[in-house]
Amino acid sequence: MKILKSWLNDWVDIEKISGDDLSEALENLGFEIESRKDISANYKNIVIGKVLEVYPHPNADKVRVTKVDTGNNIFEIVCGAWNFDVGATVPVALPKSEIKDGFLIDKRDIRGVESNGMICSATELDLWEDNSGILLLNDQVKPGTDFSSIYPQNDIVWEIGVTPNRGDCMSHLGVARELSHYFKKPLQENLHSLNPTIENIMTLSSGSIKECNTYAGVEIEDVSISDSSFTVRYRLSQVDTRIINNVVDYTNYVLYDIGQPLHAFDRDKLFGKISVRYAENNETLLTLDDQQRELSVNDLVITADNKPIALAGVMGGLESEVTTATTNLLIESAYFDKVSIMNTSRKLNLISDASIRFERGIDHNLQLLGLNRFITIFKKDQDINYSTPAIDTKQKLISNKVKFNRNEIYKLLGIKLDDNFISEMLAYLGIEFEISSTEISFQSPSWRYDLDRPVDLIEEFAKHYGFNNFESTLPIGVNKNDVGQYWHLKKELTTRLNGMGLYEIQSLSFVSEDSNSIFTPEKKSVEINNPIDQTNKFLRTNLYTSLIKTYQSNFEQNKRSHMFFEINNVFDAAEHPKYSSIPNQVYTLAGLVPSIGTHEDMREVPVTKDIFFVKQLLANCFGDLEFTKIQKPGFHQNISYIIQKNNSILGHFGQLSSQLEQSYELQNSLYLFNIDLSILTTKDLVNINYKPLSQYPFVKFDLSFMATSDLKASDMISEVENLLIDNENLITIFDDFKNEKIRNLGIRIQTRSYSKTYSEKEVSDILNQVVEVLENKFKVKLNKGS
Amino acid sequence: MAEVNLDKIFASFLLSLDDIEDISELPNIEKEYLGKGSLLSEERSKLATLSNEDKKKYGSLLKEFADNVSTKLDNFKTEFEEAFFIEKEKSENPDISIDWYSKKGSKKHILTNVMEEVVEIFASLGYTVAHGPEAETSWHNFDALNTPDWHPARYESDTLYLDKDLNNLLRTQTSTVQVRHMQDNPPPVYIVAPGRVYRSDQLDATHSPVFHQIEGLAVDDGITFSDLKGTLEYFVKEFFGSSVQTKFIPHFFPFTEPSAEVLVSWKDGEWLEILGCGMVDPNVFKNVKYPESTQGFAFGVGVERLAMLRYGIDHIKNFYENDLRFLDQF
Repeated sequence: MKILKSWLNDWVDIEKISGDDLSEALENLGFEIESRKDISANYKNIVIGKVLEVYPHPNADKVRVTKVDTGNNIFEIVCGAWNFDVGATVPVALPKSEIKDGFLIDKRDIRGVESNGMICSATELDLWEDNSGILLLNDQVKPGTDFSSIYPQNDIVWEIGVTPNRGDCMSHLGVARELSHYFKKPLQENLHSLNPTIENIMTLSSGSIKECNTYAGVEIEDVSISDSSFTVRYRLSQVDTRIINNVVDYTNYVLYDIGQPLHAFDRDKLFGKISVRYAENNETLLTLDDQQRELSVNDLVITADNKPIALAGVMGGLESEVTTATTNLLIESAYFDKVSIMNTSRKLNLISDASIRFERGIDHNLQLLGLNRFITIFKKDQDINYSTPAIDTKQKLISNKVKFNRNEIYKLLGIKLDDNFISEMLAYLGIEFEISSTEISFQSPSWRYDLDRPVDLIEEFAKHYGFNNFESTLPIGVNKNDVGQYWHLKKELTTRLNGMGLYEIQSLSFVSEDSNSIFTPEKKSVEINNPIDQTNKFLRTNLYTSLIKTYQSNFEQNKRSHMFFEINNVFDAAEHPKYSSIPNQVYTLAGLVPSIGTHEDMREVPVTKDIFFVKQLLANCFGDLEFTKIQKPGFHQNISYIIQKNNSILGHFGQLSSQLEQSYELQNSLYLFNIDLSILTTKDLVNINYKPLSQYPFVKFDLSFMATSDLKASDMISEVENLLIDNENLITIFDDFKNEKIRNLGIRIQTRSYSKTYSEKEVSDILNQVVEVLENKFKVKLNKGS
Repeated sequence: MAEVNLDKIFASFLLSLDDIEDISELPNIEKEYLGKGSLLSEERSKLATLSNEDKKKYGSLLKEFADNVSTKLDNFKTEFEEAFFIEKEKSENPDISIDWYSKKGSKKHILTNVMEEVVEIFASLGYTVAHGPEAETSWHNFDALNTPDWHPARYESDTLYLDKDLNNLLRTQTSTVQVRHMQDNPPPVYIVAPGRVYRSDQLDATHSPVFHQIEGLAVDDGITFSDLKGTLEYFVKEFFGSSVQTKFIPHFFPFTEPSAEVLVSWKDGEWLEILGCGMVDPNVFKNVKYPESTQGFAFGVGVERLAMLRYGIDHIKNFYENDLRFLDQF
């Protein structure tokens, strides 16, 4: 919302307060300053002139020649606008002056007539957009007066943010009230006495529903629809409001002035009693924007003779619109329920300055002041006949008295406030109160909807005390240096995976249904009701497609092939295991390893990775694991394994299927792994089994066996481990040669006793024992000579 | 006594040293002049046949010769190796300006880095990490946080809902974790909750449908607004540096009262908003069935914003496109 210093000054005397101090005050009061513009009238050689004569140009039809009294001289000026006549008071840019955009004005010959300057429009003077012609000024200004002097000097426009709880601050009056306490300056009343000259002929009723508590109006006769006063146009244009005509401008003016939305009807187009009710289904209304609106039972309407004539608080009807032909007015000033207005304006997507104010809640006692302000401003400009404002109010809305112990202030804020501070603040803010040595009781004024509870008032104390005047204290919590399992696990895994060269990624959670069904057809996707983009309207059930997309885009755009992982939630429509009525979401780690990596060594040494690398990577993260072959959608029929630890399933890993490799147009094989982190703790990551170090030398033998293709090499290793259980061992497979006919498996045994150096005989006994056990247990045969 | 000319032999020994090209030849020369079958060993074997006096005299001559050869060999070896190593290392002279191995950062995603750093700061103050669902009920995201059914914030088109009745949604704020945590745990509470939140925004330079927040909550006896102020000032100084100033300005959030926004002093005297905070509204405590007298403060900070400010990152979408050119820089 934009506010103007000169306008605020109508309500509280801030003229002498500097712009910086005012900005600071606004900010400390909770009005975020989005922008500030300092205006200083800087018109040189632009003066007020009075048009003395107007006559045709001898050589041109589209322009006229005028004689203008500019105080010291009478100049002949050629003018292309036709909206004025003899006697008009107008701004004149004299020779050697400058108008909007640095445009220079000087004497100029226009088709044989010398023009001594230019008569200006509001647009040309950079005041506001007005294409109707010359800016017509008040007749009272003397010719020759410097134009700058009728323009407010050193004004400031701020664009401020008003928080949604403070509807009362959506006007100059509201902001001025806050400033009045800040600067300890009284708030002006600005209620002027009226002198009605006509009788009301309309009957106004607030209807029977509680959503319109007050309906008030005033009738005005014999108005002429013209421009509003210079000040009103200046002010409205500074707060970004379009200048229309006096009636519309003055209703807008009152809205920005005190926050009361007004609506002007052409009284001569209204018939019967004016009232308020909910619309009926199938009723329609042609609104001001020439749209036929379908109404429903939730829309508040103003009716005349029970027929809808306006959407209450949102938009007027076209049929009762004020036009240039209008002479008699009914000005409406009402108080509507905020929720009803919100529903209608959102449903019809009609959001106006009025609806925004109703939505936030306007002062329920402001309706007569609204009419008073309208008449006061209008009659300054034009002699108008008006009635006594009529008002129909249901019940007097009185807020509850709230009482609380003064200790509550110290308890919540940690500051002690004295009586003087408390009573001064409440008085300035117009809050009725009583104060004793132990208690405060208060009653919220008609414009404040945010003061129901003690804490609401305590907030007010905090704000006016000034947040930056509070002491700073530092409480220490109860969990010193304990980030908890959840965070610790993520941090530990991230560090380990980074150490092995995988990049951590963060990707969006929205995917297409296809992308879910490729890898996880068994899961039902969660669909977003109002997706940002129809092609990605599901939450991902797996992290694989995000990883592959990341891999692909980096390969295509950067010619780089790297390993990636992501830790995030995946979602599916099953029930959440812990909380009711929300979808299942599993905290998941997934990773991608390409068969060939680039940019690890720039000498273009290819760095190849295979499924064994991935297996080892998983072991480095999670310790001892068991793997069982399983077929899974999207994966290689053989290279695809369940990952288990201590008999519980942690996840799955394998190679992307050949078919997907082709359809993704990949240049590499990809290995993917997926771990369910929701069942893991950091304890599972630590796998320390200390074995003492033997002091004796090792013996080593390499044995080569003929083996069957289904033999699990790790079973042989376990068997040897078992056999040599009292020793310190290092048992590895050093060769696994396969062709169609045979498989040769090489096992390397390095073992040392804890008690002695083996003799040659003992070594050969061990060797024979190993061979015998392995040949008996597994269908293997030692290759002689190995 | 047939004496051999030891001087002549020594001279030939010296000559043979000159011919050495590789240090591996040295043991052969040593053997030739000092080892079995060498002239020296032959002469030594003859000593037994000599008179005591001659034995003593010739013996000492032979010893002197042997010592000389040994010393010379040792010296030669040292000098030769020294010269050899100097030559060897001369040829080994890499251009260290080349990056054969890529210049990689930590490989941690920058958002993770920032979140871990924030968590560490609060962990040092006695906070633990809490977490909660991202697909949430509207009750946890709005009602429990004192944002009732009619509240405009709920109808803002930027919430992504998961059903037609608008009962479930993707959380728009990590404040939901406050509610979940308090429902499951009695006070005192000192938690931070880093995590993803969702809004209905297209991904572009300044918007993302997914971003991260860190929620903080302290609930304990006697927690005041001054505590909130001191805690967040401490955080800002730890994160941005001790020269950074903070100011608190009043704001509005449905779930806190009083509410404030924290601004930090930035370059060119500019003040930037980085945090929203306040004293937890009594209605929130009521909704999680905490006793009426409960007090505490809460705050929320945008992780992307912290990262963008600190590193001058220009586009929010960089965080989510995972371009290696971006990932490599942190």
